[in-house]
Amino acid sequence: MMTETQVFDKVAGLIAPYAKNPDALKTLSKDSKILEDLGVNSARLVDIVLAFEDAFDIEVEDEAADEIWTMGDAVSLINSKIQ
Amino acid sequence: MPLVSSIQKFNKRSMRLFDKFYLSLQRLLSRGLFFIFGPLVSFAVFKIYRIRTDNLSEVRKQYRKFLNQDKGPLIICSNHLTRVDSIVQSTFLNSIWGYWVNYRSLPWNLPEKTKFYHSWYFRLSCYLGKCIPVLRGAPSAESKRSLQKMLYILNKGDVLSIFPEGRRSRSGKVDTEDFSYGVGQILKECPNARVLCVYLRGKKHGGFADIPTKGEDFYFKMEMFKPKSDLKGLRKLRDDSTQIINKLHSMEEEYFSL
Repeated sequence: MMTETQVFDKVAGLIAPYAKNPDALKTLSKDSKILEDLGVNSARLVDIVLAFEDAFDIEVEDEAADEIWTMGDAVSLINSKIQ
Repeated sequence: MPLVSSIQKFNKRSMRLFDKFYLSLQRLLSRGLFFIFGPLVSFAVFKIYRIRTDNLSEVRKQYRKFLNQDKGPLIICSNHLTRVDSIVQSTFLNSIWGYWVNYRSLPWNLPEKTKFYHSWYFRLSCYLGKCIPVLRGAPSAESKRSLQKMLYILNKGDVLSIFPEGRRSRSGKVDTEDFSYGVGQILKECPNARVLCVYLRGKKHGGFADIPTKGEDFYFKMEMFKPKSDLKGLRKLRDDSTQIINKLHSMEEEYFSL
């Protein structure tokens, strides 16, 4: 069973390659907005969600994917799937 | 809570009705005033900018054939190099008379809101030119609303033109690495839509630019394309988009091999 911190760190690692604002990665929190703060291109959100699916062996429904705006949203969603 | 929920549902439904009415009105006014702005645009493209293509009559004949082959929704997917690609493409695809007779053949376009809606004359031109403004990186609700508008006009039988790369290619070549999945999203919601891939490029000064140079001679090629994917959900959406981008890339390679 992964702890929330472990999930958070793994999520951060998966998002990092798509972040155009590397400085924001240093001060990452659950409130960090994936698009605005990390500078992720909206089109890449699909790649990120699919990366979550592969890395955590989960399935994310389209509607749930639409609700991922912050790091906290991503971590909560993944936690709810891997419990 | 049930009352709040009902109101929210009503608002969503009424919003959709408003959008349908708005788009229908836009189409009506656009058609009504087409006899003014259509020839003006055509004059600007062909006479002032002297933009041309060798095979204009063949392009128009082919487009008519594709339109008449099947009455299902049609999405035009083109490469994107200049700000006026959609205008050049539209003037090539059909004549003024052809559009007037069959107004659904004039494609709807999806200009970026922040770049094309900053002044009244741009807004008016976009409105009359059958455009649906889209906002890059928009909140989910707004993206869905834009998508609903696209699906509405597609299901009404009008043609939709999009740039699957999502922006003009800075390198001057089809960007096969960093592209949008918007077309996949539309195909996911409208799986019976046909895809017409278009590759256009100025032969003299082709490449990334604001507008083509005067007297530019365009290479213009189009092919029907059907993405095939066994995947589902977001993976299919990505796969379909990738296949369309790869098709445009192969059309580009064909151009450079000439």
